[in-house]
Amino acid sequence: MVKKILLVGFLVISVAGFSQVPSGLSMLFEEDPTLLITRIKVVIRGGSLVDPAGKSGVASMMSELMLRGTKTKKRTAFQKSVESLGAQFTTGATHDMISFDGAVVKENTSALLALMQEAIREPAFDAKEFANLKKETLAEISHLKNQNYRLGGLVVRKAIFAGTPLEFPTIGTLETVKKITLKDIQSAYHEHFQRNRFIFAVATSVPKAEMEKELKVFWEGFPVKPVTDEANYEPKSPSANTLILIHKPKTSTGAILMAQPGIVAQDPDRYALSIGNFSFGGEPLVSRLFRIVRSELGYTYSIFSTYGTTGGLSNQKGIYAIGATPSMEFTAKTLFKTLELWNHYEASGLETDELRLARESLVNSYPFEFDAAEKRLGLRLSSLVYDVPILTPIQYEKTINEVGRKEIKKAVLSHHGSKPWVIAVVADKDQFAKLLDEEQKNIPEAKRLKISKVISPDDVIK
Amino acid sequence: MKLIKWVVCVVIVVWHGNSPVAQAGFKKVKSTTLFNGETIQEYLFDNGLKLLVVPRHQAAIATYQMWFNVGSIHEKLDPKLKKTGLAHLFEHMMFRGTEKHPDGKFDELVARMGGEGQNATTSYYRTNYFESVPASQLGKLLELESDRMRNLKLDAGLIEKEKGAVVGEYRRHMDNPTGVAFDELMRLSYEKLPYRYTILGTEAEIKGFSLEEAKYFYQTFYAPNNATIIIVGDVFVDKLLELVDDHYGKMKRQEIPKTVMPEEPHQKKERRLSIDHPQATSETLLIGYKIPDVNSPTQLPLSLLSAHLSTGMESRLRKLLVDSGVAVNVAASVDNQPDVFEIFVQLVEGKKSEQALAMIDRELKNIAMKGITDPDLLRALNQEKLSTYGGIVKNETLARFMGEYLMLSGNYLRGFEILEGYPKVSPKDVQAVAKEFLTIQNRTVIMIRPGKKHG
Repeated sequence: MVKKILLVGFLVISVAGFSQVPSGLSMLFEEDPTLLITRIKVVIRGGSLVDPAGKSGVASMMSELMLRGTKTKKRTAFQKSVESLGAQFTTGATHDMISFDGAVVKENTSALLALMQEAIREPAFDAKEFANLKKETLAEISHLKNQNYRLGGLVVRKAIFAGTPLEFPTIGTLETVKKITLKDIQSAYHEHFQRNRFIFAVATSVPKAEMEKELKVFWEGFPVKPVTDEANYEPKSPSANTLILIHKPKTSTGAILMAQPGIVAQDPDRYALSIGNFSFGGEPLVSRLFRIVRSELGYTYSIFSTYGTTGGLSNQKGIYAIGATPSMEFTAKTLFKTLELWNHYEASGLETDELRLARESLVNSYPFEFDAAEKRLGLRLSSLVYDVPILTPIQYEKTINEVGRKEIKKAVLSHHGSKPWVIAVVADKDQFAKLLDEEQKNIPEAKRLKISKVISPDDVIK
Repeated sequence: MKLIKWVVCVVIVVWHGNSPVAQAGFKKVKSTTLFNGETIQEYLFDNGLKLLVVPRHQAAIATYQMWFNVGSIHEKLDPKLKKTGLAHLFEHMMFRGTEKHPDGKFDELVARMGGEGQNATTSYYRTNYFESVPASQLGKLLELESDRMRNLKLDAGLIEKEKGAVVGEYRRHMDNPTGVAFDELMRLSYEKLPYRYTILGTEAEIKGFSLEEAKYFYQTFYAPNNATIIIVGDVFVDKLLELVDDHYGKMKRQEIPKTVMPEEPHQKKERRLSIDHPQATSETLLIGYKIPDVNSPTQLPLSLLSAHLSTGMESRLRKLLVDSGVAVNVAASVDNQPDVFEIFVQLVEGKKSEQALAMIDRELKNIAMKGITDPDLLRALNQEKLSTYGGIVKNETLARFMGEYLMLSGNYLRGFEILEGYPKVSPKDVQAVAKEFLTIQNRTVIMIRPGKKHG
């Protein structure tokens, strides 16, 4: 029965395609006649990892500045041209790619393509726009102080990837962004924009042949240079559980983020770990964390665990994280209960019923991975960039069902076995310290979890 | 640049209201063909339950949504309750099990089906429950959903446990300066209307709800004649009707207390409040202008005005406030129930709300006096079209689009009518609504500043 559902789910009305045009540009197509909107994604491999030392944030600022005027159109004229089409043109950088995302009502696909081409080929890199963008970026970084999970995320990232480019957020920090010059941006443009780094992905109702015709001349003129392999940065675990407190006065809720090194996209244990994580904390409503810490104990409104903390699996080992936002009086209780549940999971793995539920749920929900053209395009893009296969529903079911309790336990032990956590807690320091003491009053002093450092939100973003 | 060719959105409506349908227990009310060729079919069951279906066969999945015409305003105005927070707490309780499927089983069974996006939300005027499943699992899902609609096991112990999570949600909300700003805007804007009371209730109200109140709420408001099911996806209507009839057809119609909204005195002068919030690191400015309801023709120019002001990099307020280094972000939006045109500004650290407010006032005065240009209107209109088209391609978003308008206006096609009507809006219409509604005496202003603990 399950197989039948999945087969039907996979046979969606679309025409998928991949071409390698003579320019070396990779193009992915999802043609779907029902789409009212064309989505265009231009990806340039290489992101903030190659930002100059001490200047993290260059890739992010560069891509944003490219949307703020071309050699023939000032920012206002350019943006008005885009927005009047019924289009949006946005950009973003991750540690390993820069992407330009266009969405447009299908009638105006060609017009948006022309504007995207202009922005990418002929950016103005205007000095005044750069100065304004720098101010906006600094304000945006300062604003992160209002987001507790983000603060926690920045702290654990810095601890786990200390000394590598991954310790910095893609947007940069106040110190690094202040140092960025327009010349850095221009140099980065020449470094990043090489023809063989481009991937072009489009989901549209416009016939593929028409799109290809327009795209073949799109990227001419960009140089082709040898692409050096992306360096791999190994995350580090502390020697013991390390608790860092970000002090926010008089909070009535705390935010907890516990982190360990994660996995790469190609990790052979990824399915075993994803099934394990589904049951431990990954699946809302049915995971152990949710059922026990929220439903039974009522400590927290949200609680979860994920391998995608740094934005999804990639060629770099990311971070495995557990997050929760308990009421203040339950902050320490939530922390210790979560650690207890983790230790049990690490030692005993899953129960048979949990494994059955996870398998059934993952297999039955697999059609949702590709039920829309945009999702299928995303899957194919990840597959191309991170060299991971896209499994057919039958392959996926087989893969999931081949993973047993032993494999999960082994994978969890091999990746996490007794590794200490970096724990970031955002809370009022006095209240939390008191709660921490209360929870550990029966534990010998030497074995207690202690606050290793108290920092302010300003320290986190500086 | 190619002008977007507008197609007629809601074109064919076939009425079946008076024609007897040979099916037992329900009748087809109407079928509407949308601009993209899809059809919405509306059915009414004998017990008052409404069903809206949009068959879509691109993928073997379907979205189910249940909309109840009850929210925090109904509980506040109910003579037996007279408080808020229970509608929301109850939304949580709906996941706590029945005799047949005890606590935790509902979630487990939906997960086994491969359910996605399972959740629920409560607002002032409605509560909804939703998830998407592989289409072949829809029968099982309807069995589960109908079971919890009628046979919920309300247990004092479970209510107490759930209160912990809800109090956590409440406190998280209160720690968020933006959440507090919206609560205060409603409280200050309305003297009589129940929008002035928060959906979440107060902490004391949440902790104080009794088993009897929960039972009363459930038995009174979770009735078929107070509910609409919306299904979008890979379904065949005849089969679906059988399933819905099997699972919901026997439920009994109930008498729903009539909610009489008090009359709100006309606002004659600006209301303003400044609050210190310990978690705020920069100032937040929130302005609310009272506007007519969603069925008013003014909804169209007001929506286009909001897009003109804050959608996209070239939007007027973004350029004014973000480009000048005063704000981190700005958003203008038309809200309904309560009917308020809101402008929300998150200021750059160290900048003052008064400065942003003065800049906004100058700009709005300018629009009221000089209007906006044709290209400005075209930009706003096409941005609205992009946003709607981008949303309705997804099953769950289309279902939400219809459900929200149904609850707000009584007409699930209202969103499409608004979209269809946009090309008829002129710059003068936009100028007229700016002049009439975005005035100082018609507004409430909330300023949140970094400082001591609120409340």
